[in-house]
Amino acid sequence: MDAPLLAIENLRTYFYSRAKRAFIRSVDGVSLGVARGETLGIVGESGSGKSVTALSAAGLVTAGPGVISGRIDLQSNGARRNLLDGLENYARVTEEDGRVMAVEKDERGWRKHSETLMAGVRGKEIAMIFQNPRSALNPYSTIGKQLVETIRLHTSLKGENEARERAIHWLDRVRIDSPRLRFDNFPFGMSGGMCQRAMIAMALSAEPSLLIADEPTTGLDATIQSRIVELLAQLKAETGITTLLISHDISVIQRLSDRIAVMYGGTVVETGRAAEVLAPGAKMRHPYTAALLASIPSAEMIRRKSYLQAIEGEVLDTIEVPRGCRFYGRCNRVTEAIRDNCSGHEPPLGEVAPGHKVRCWLYPTERNA
Amino acid sequence: MSRTILEVTDLRKHYSQRRGLVSRLTGQGRVIPAVDGVSFYLRENETVGLVGESGCGKTTIGRTVLRLTDPSSGRIVFDGRDITKLSRAELRPLRREMQMIFQDLDAGLNPRMRVRDILREALTVYERPSDALITSRIHWLLEQVSLKDSKLANFPSELSGGEKRRVGIARVLAVRPRLIVADEPTSALDISIQAQVVNLLRDLQRDLGLTYLFISHDLPVVELVSQKVAVMYLGRIVEMGLAENIAHQPRHPYTGILWSSLADKQSTEVSLYARGGAAAEREHRTWGVFDFEQPASGCRFAPRCPLYRDKGRPAVCTDPASEPQLRDVGHGHVVACHFA
Repeated sequence: MDAPLLAIENLRTYFYSRAKRAFIRSVDGVSLGVARGETLGIVGESGSGKSVTALSAAGLVTAGPGVISGRIDLQSNGARRNLLDGLENYARVTEEDGRVMAVEKDERGWRKHSETLMAGVRGKEIAMIFQNPRSALNPYSTIGKQLVETIRLHTSLKGENEARERAIHWLDRVRIDSPRLRFDNFPFGMSGGMCQRAMIAMALSAEPSLLIADEPTTGLDATIQSRIVELLAQLKAETGITTLLISHDISVIQRLSDRIAVMYGGTVVETGRAAEVLAPGAKMRHPYTAALLASIPSAEMIRRKSYLQAIEGEVLDTIEVPRGCRFYGRCNRVTEAIRDNCSGHEPPLGEVAPGHKVRCWLYPTERNA
Repeated sequence: MSRTILEVTDLRKHYSQRRGLVSRLTGQGRVIPAVDGVSFYLRENETVGLVGESGCGKTTIGRTVLRLTDPSSGRIVFDGRDITKLSRAELRPLRREMQMIFQDLDAGLNPRMRVRDILREALTVYERPSDALITSRIHWLLEQVSLKDSKLANFPSELSGGEKRRVGIARVLAVRPRLIVADEPTSALDISIQAQVVNLLRDLQRDLGLTYLFISHDLPVVELVSQKVAVMYLGRIVEMGLAENIAHQPRHPYTGILWSSLADKQSTEVSLYARGGAAAEREHRTWGVFDFEQPASGCRFAPRCPLYRDKGRPAVCTDPASEPQLRDVGHGHVVACHFA
C-alpha cells in the first residue's frame, strides 16, 4: 500500500485558556493517516480536539501561546514533507506532573517559520472549507473575482479569460444555478447554502490534493444541510478528492466517510472503517461511541416515547494528563474486573479487529499503542 | 380532556423595513410578513412542536404569544383571558405564568452575578419570601435541574454549556410558570448534553404539569417530545397534526421534504441525484431558499414544490386568489395544500 497522503503522528496542540488560567491540551497525542482518495471523518463533541487537529494540519495554529508538536507528513509531488519541521525550535514547553506549566515561544520566529512551511501548501495542496461560509468569503468582492484570484494563484491558468471560464465551470460543478449570473454576486446577496457551495468551488478550484472540511454543514438549515452533504458526496465520486472531514453530526460523518476516528478529550478513542465503527449492534465498540450513537433518538425510541440515553456528566477540558481513561468519569461500562485499570492507567489504542482500533480496557488486545 | 391554556387566532406580525432617506421621507418601505395568519392552541400539560427552516417565523410566534413582541393583528388568549391588547402593567402578573427559554445559553444570565444571585433575583421578582424560604427554594430548583450545590458560587462564564442551560431552566422555573416557550433549547449544546436536557424537560413537564411550545429544527427531538406538531413555511402553518402522523404520514409536500432531508443525510445509498439524472439535478438546483421580498402568488411553496412540478404546474397553485387554506383531513390533522 502507498504511504498515506497525510500522516499525523503524535500530534499535540496546547492553548492557553485565560478563563481557566491554565494550558489546555486540546490535542493530546493524535496519530491518524488519510490514504489517497479516501475520506476520513473525525467525529466528537466540542472540546474533543477534532477541529484543532484540522487547524494544526492546515498550519493555522499560530495565535498567541498555541504550540504544536509531533509530525504532520504530507505527500507532495512524490516527496514527503513534514509540515511541522523545525517548529519545535521556536517554543519551549515546560511540563510538570502531566501539566503544562509554561510555554516560552518566539512568536515572530514561529510565525515566520510556519508561513515558510505552509507556503505553497495551504490553499494549494491543502484547501479548507469551514463552518459559516459567509464569514470566510470576502464581503467586498464578488464570488467570481474571488474564484478567479484563487485559480490564477494556484493553477497553471494565468490568463484572465481562461480563469474566468474555469471559475464558471466550478460554480456549475457545485450546482449553482445560472453560474454566469452568480459570478457577479457578492456574498451578502447569497443564501448560506449558496455561500457554502461557492466556498467548496473555491477550495476545489485550486485542485488541491487534500480537502479539509471543518463542520461544513453546521449552522445551515436541515434541508440545505442534506443538499450540501449530497453535493460533497457527488464531488467525492466525481473527483476522488482525499478529504479530512470534521463534524459533530454523526449522520454527516456516516454518509461521507470511508473511515472514522472518534475523538474524546484530545485523543482518538476509536478508529476503523466507517461500516464497522457505526455498524448497528457492533460488539467491540468504545463505550463513548456507543453512548454517542445511543443519544440520537432512533425511530424505535421515538415511537415508544422512551427516554434518551444521555451520557452523564460533561466533557472536561484536559489540563492535566489524566491518570486513567479520559472517559472514566462518564463511562457506564466499567466493571469491577477492570476498574483499577480504568481509573489508574490510560488504555492503549489497541486493535480489536484488522484495521479497527479501540482505546478501552474492556477489550483484550495486543499492546500496540 | 384537559383545558386549553393558550389559543392563538389569525396572528400576524409584519415588520416594516425602511431603507434610505427617500423611503423614510415618503413613508414607503417593504413589509415583511414574518407571521402571516397563524392559528393554533395548546392544552394544559401538552407539548406542541413548531418546526420549519430558519426565517419561517417560528421564533417570532414564540415571542409574540408571550407578548415580548407586539402582534400586528390577531388574538392571543391565555387561560381564558384575551392578552392581545393588555398594557405592560396589566401583563406583569401574567408574565410569571408564561416564560421563555431562549436559544442563547447566556440569555438571562447576568455575567456579573453568581448562580446563587441569579436564582435569588428570579425568586424575588414577584414576591418577597423570607431568606430561609429563598434558600430552600434555591435548593429545590437545583434539585429539579440536577445541578450540584457547589455551582451556586460560580459565575456564568465558569459554567459549561449544559450547566448554563440548566441554570437558565432553573431561573425560569423559579417563578413557577405554567406555559414555557422553549426556543431551540438544545441547539447550542453538544449531542450528549442535548439528550440530558431533553430528558430534563420531559421530567419537569411530568412533575410540574408544564405546557410547552417547543420550537426547534431538530425533527427527531420534536417528534419525541411533542404530542402535536405544526410545520411552518414562510410565516404560515402549512400542516399540523399528531406528531407521529406529521412525521410518518405527512400530507403536505413540504413536510415530506423536511423529514426526508433528514433521512437523505443518513442514507448510505447512492444519492437521489446520481440515480435521478436530469430531473433530480433540476430539483437539486432549484431548491433555493424562500424569499420574503418576492412572495409567490397563490401557494407560497409552489416555487419549490415537487408536486407542483409533477402535476404540470397547475394554475390553481399560483392563482393569487386561491392561497391554500388549512383544512381538516381527519383526526384533527390539517393541511394547506390543494392536492393533499
